[in-house]
Amino acid sequence: MHQPLALQPLTGTGPTDILSVANNPVLWICVAGVFGVIVIQSIVFMRAARRAAPSVDMSPQDIRTSFRSGAVSAIGPSLAVSLVAVALLGLFGAPAVLSRIGLIGSAAYDVSAAGIAASSMGAKLGDASYTQAVFAVAFFAMSIGGAMWMLATLVLTPLLRKGDAKIRSINPAAMAVVPAAALIGAFACLGLGELPKSGIHVLSFLVSAAVMGLCLLLARKLGKSWLREWGLGLSIVVGLTAAYLAAGPAVGA
Amino acid sequence: MTSTTTAEPSTGSTAMADFGRTTSRWGQATMIAGLLISVAGPLYLVFASGLDVAPAQLWIAFAAVAATFGIIWIVEPLTYYPVLGPAAMYQAFMIGNISNKLLPAALIAQTNIGAKPGTRRAELAAVVAICGAAAVHLVSLAVFVGLLGSWLISIIPPSVLLVTRLYVLPTVLGAVLVQAIVSMKQPRTTVIALAVSAVVVFAVVPLLPSLAMMSTAIAVLATIVLAWFFRGKSDAVAVAAPAHIE
Repeated sequence: MHQPLALQPLTGTGPTDILSVANNPVLWICVAGVFGVIVIQSIVFMRAARRAAPSVDMSPQDIRTSFRSGAVSAIGPSLAVSLVAVALLGLFGAPAVLSRIGLIGSAAYDVSAAGIAASSMGAKLGDASYTQAVFAVAFFAMSIGGAMWMLATLVLTPLLRKGDAKIRSINPAAMAVVPAAALIGAFACLGLGELPKSGIHVLSFLVSAAVMGLCLLLARKLGKSWLREWGLGLSIVVGLTAAYLAAGPAVGA
Repeated sequence: MTSTTTAEPSTGSTAMADFGRTTSRWGQATMIAGLLISVAGPLYLVFASGLDVAPAQLWIAFAAVAATFGIIWIVEPLTYYPVLGPAAMYQAFMIGNISNKLLPAALIAQTNIGAKPGTRRAELAAVVAICGAAAVHLVSLAVFVGLLGSWLISIIPPSVLLVTRLYVLPTVLGAVLVQAIVSMKQPRTTVIALAVSAVVVFAVVPLLPSLAMMSTAIAVLATIVLAWFFRGKSDAVAVAAPAHIE
């Protein structure tokens, strides 16, 4: 599986056995490391909060209530995230999905970063051009993207803590328009970019978009916020089901 | 927006200063560790596992992603800070899924103990609630994705796996685009973004295929410029919601 690139065709029938590379033991160790770091952080922060609590009239019972409320309210969203993560296992393998989609990042940004990285190598995620090398670069792009978020947090948090006037006085109109334009622009271009690939891509895209629209509409009309949490997972499952039915004959189903 | 750094009763100031010191020191240390470990995996894969990837390809991929999301990297921490407070920032940006999981967890905890937003008590409640949310999240990921998911992948028919791999991308992006449009609530920007993207995808890329790898960056830049140029008066006074979807 570790053929030099010279022996591989650049596109087409390259070694597309992604999962053998994606489940490399070193990647599993890194996932365990990220889990461990979050556990350590949570323990340190819990202890610090317990020490500080009496000074602000927070009883041990309040601490317990807060922890339990946080835990209980996270059950639904965590399961929703897990569903999305499972849907992406076939594309990225468990270690990348656990560290990128489950923790640190999110499905929207990391799948987008992977898609952008793949197209920078002239490849497309999931099809025959998606070789092990493309996977490695896509995984790198997702991870470095997440690292930049953390870097921004590391730099900005101390500055904001000091109440840096310059940062707080950023033009509010720019803060309203520019990020929204960047986000919608990015996802619109990435989304529309899927359409020319095939009719089934169009179908998957439209079905998933419709399910998400319906979920958000019902969430608002009926006041059911769980529909918002599960929107992405439901859209992916229904969209993939539609794709499977449409592609059935082609994949020998 | 209320800030979590507003004045507190003087009695609690020493203990809270200690809390601030501990959480910022350990928050930074753990975040740097998380950052290094998360980048180590792919770097190992690229350089040490026998795959032939040129460093230039990494830089190009990074540049393409930075051109698309660079602004969001900076804006997101800025917009979340007033809601989360300094300590929870280090938790939130490492655990992820902030708006759909961590913020609701923090708000519910604050409500349940009757802590007013913006107070020290509310800040502590948020940190503790995020610890609780993190515990649940880590367990559910390990069980449902790590164990159950890996098993699922090994038993599902190859045809299902193939369909998933081929078409999961359009399903994610279709849903995410709708989510972004609805949560941003900026119809003008939405129309501009869709028009620009349609031109880029259906006209620019087919005509100039060499621009394909930069297409998203071009669309983002053009959308920002046009949305700024044609911004409505109401946008100028609108308070920036956390620019963010998940």
